[in-house]
Amino acid sequence: MVKPIIIKRLIFFFLLGFGLAPFISSAQQVDVNAQADTDRIRLGEQVRLRLSASMPPQGMNVVFPQIPDSFGHFEVVRRSPLDTTAQGNTKLLGQTIVLTSFDSGRWDIPALRFDLVSAGNITDSAFTGPLSIDVNTVDVDTTKAFKPIKAVRTVGWSFWDYWLYFAIGITVLLVAIGLIVYFRSKPKKAAPVPVVAVVPPYEIALQQLQQLKSEKVWQQGDIKQYYTRLTDILRNYFEQQFNIPALEQTSEELLQHIKPVTILNQQRDKLRSLLSLADLAKFAKMTPSPEEHEGAMQHAQEIVEWTKPAVEKAAAAEAGKEETKQPVK
Amino acid sequence: MENTSDIRQLNEKIHQASAFVDLLNLELSKVIVGQRYMVERLLIGLLAGGHVLLEGVPGLAKTLSIKSLSSAINAKFSRIQFTPDLLPADVVGTMIYNQQKNEFVVRRGPIFANFILADEINRAPAKVQSALLEAMQERQITIGDTTFKLDDPFLVLATQNPIEQEGTYMLPEAQVDRFMLKVTIGYPTKEEELHIIRQNLNPQATATINPVVQPSDIITARKLVREVYMDEKIERYILDIVFATRNPEDYKLQKLKPLISYGGSPRASISLALAAKAYAFTKRRGYVIPEDVRSICFDVMRHRVGLTYEAEAENVTSENILSEILNAVEVP
Repeated sequence: MVKPIIIKRLIFFFLLGFGLAPFISSAQQVDVNAQADTDRIRLGEQVRLRLSASMPPQGMNVVFPQIPDSFGHFEVVRRSPLDTTAQGNTKLLGQTIVLTSFDSGRWDIPALRFDLVSAGNITDSAFTGPLSIDVNTVDVDTTKAFKPIKAVRTVGWSFWDYWLYFAIGITVLLVAIGLIVYFRSKPKKAAPVPVVAVVPPYEIALQQLQQLKSEKVWQQGDIKQYYTRLTDILRNYFEQQFNIPALEQTSEELLQHIKPVTILNQQRDKLRSLLSLADLAKFAKMTPSPEEHEGAMQHAQEIVEWTKPAVEKAAAAEAGKEETKQPVK
Repeated sequence: MENTSDIRQLNEKIHQASAFVDLLNLELSKVIVGQRYMVERLLIGLLAGGHVLLEGVPGLAKTLSIKSLSSAINAKFSRIQFTPDLLPADVVGTMIYNQQKNEFVVRRGPIFANFILADEINRAPAKVQSALLEAMQERQITIGDTTFKLDDPFLVLATQNPIEQEGTYMLPEAQVDRFMLKVTIGYPTKEEELHIIRQNLNPQATATINPVVQPSDIITARKLVREVYMDEKIERYILDIVFATRNPEDYKLQKLKPLISYGGSPRASISLALAAKAYAFTKRRGYVIPEDVRSICFDVMRHRVGLTYEAEAENVTSENILSEILNAVEVP
């Protein structure tokens, strides 16, 4: 009775072992490893963790463990891309992960899981062994006194730190010199100077007076307008020709301000009678006679004409000197 | 020359009516040496019906001027010395109990006169100042239940001392605005002062002011002053000046903008127009010309242009600002 049961059990285990054999063999064909370049660092120092997997070149693949940016007491500084190399009949996969830690103590890097993929399915997993890293603080000798913070260290000057700036500067300088030389040596074209006819203020004043006369303003009954325009023409002329702010001055002030301008002062009486008449017409509703209208226009023209030779003389002198811009005195 | 008949008549009427101005000036010159500017402004205030605020150091013949003016016009004069303990009743009057009649009777204050000299007005507290200024504005006084009309002509000449500001009550802007003119007077010239010394020390000097004008003449003249012709161009010129104090940037005076805290009020425009008419009257003209406006502009406007702290820090005065404005605004 005993023998058949033993035989049955042997057959069962044989069949079980035969059925699982391919899987067991695949796991044994993949070799995973995690290795740190040091097991001892100081706070903030870096440790290079090398993950590697070796496997047959065909029919199998390995999924590397997904390591988060921060785990345990470690932080991932950077990670290299996965590299693949062939060595004989073996395919080698590798990745380097740089870690650091800012907590002192002895910290473990846990066993990392590599998934084995065959025909698109995860068929098995392989684990690396855990690693321990000692993270130490800086040794402080408490028996010694505190030391001041070290002074800022001056870094030595090196030409090669600035060579690019020198190169750019020299290039810009050379280009500028080149452009200057080019434009200087280039034959210049004589630019046509636009001839602007400068009409002297007395000409303008005479034209405006003639215009006012031809418009027959007072003949149409607009006396106030006639005297306003007549005095405005004269005031503008004084302002432009003699730099007297005549537009902002009353008649009496204007008569005071022409005193230093000899050529105008000679016409003072004429100007006074004209301005007085104009004030009466403008501000007192007075209607001067036609003779007075004509007389006012004649006075205005005479004043401008009187100053004309002196103005021309001054303009000629100015053209000769090309300097002085003094009003005619 | 042909005249528009109305203006011609008005001009002649004013020419005749204003003849007393020369008489008045002549009479005043018997006792007042120099200070023609102040006397002229007093006359303008009198003719325009506006009160005058006078700023000047003591001893510049302020009291003498107004006293002489009142004598020359044959008018009643009173002087009130403003002090910190002055009460409104001391100025306007009060009710006094009459034991014999067993009733309250009104005792009129010194304000019941034609010419009032309110000396150092800024030394009295605000309630006294406002009592006077209210009387100036309303031209009537109420004591108890009775309202009394003040005499006509009524002119207040208030003085302010520009020095010794400690313990004074500066007149608020709204109250200063009630003065038509603020006149700043300076010292006489050397020649004038020499004359003043001789006149005062001469034992034979017995110059007295005779009445040359009656108050009724002044009242008639006041009516005529309002009739003086002012062309629209002049009105617009006045508006330009007043508006330039409010919006200087509109007159290419942007630099004045940060210096002015407030400009002239419509009362400034009215006062400037009226004072210009009075000025034309004193010049015996029946129409106003730009000179009249410019001549009186500083006295009408100087207390109506508010200065900012920036202006005060830079020692810019309202006179500086007004000069800039007058030099920028075109004369018609």
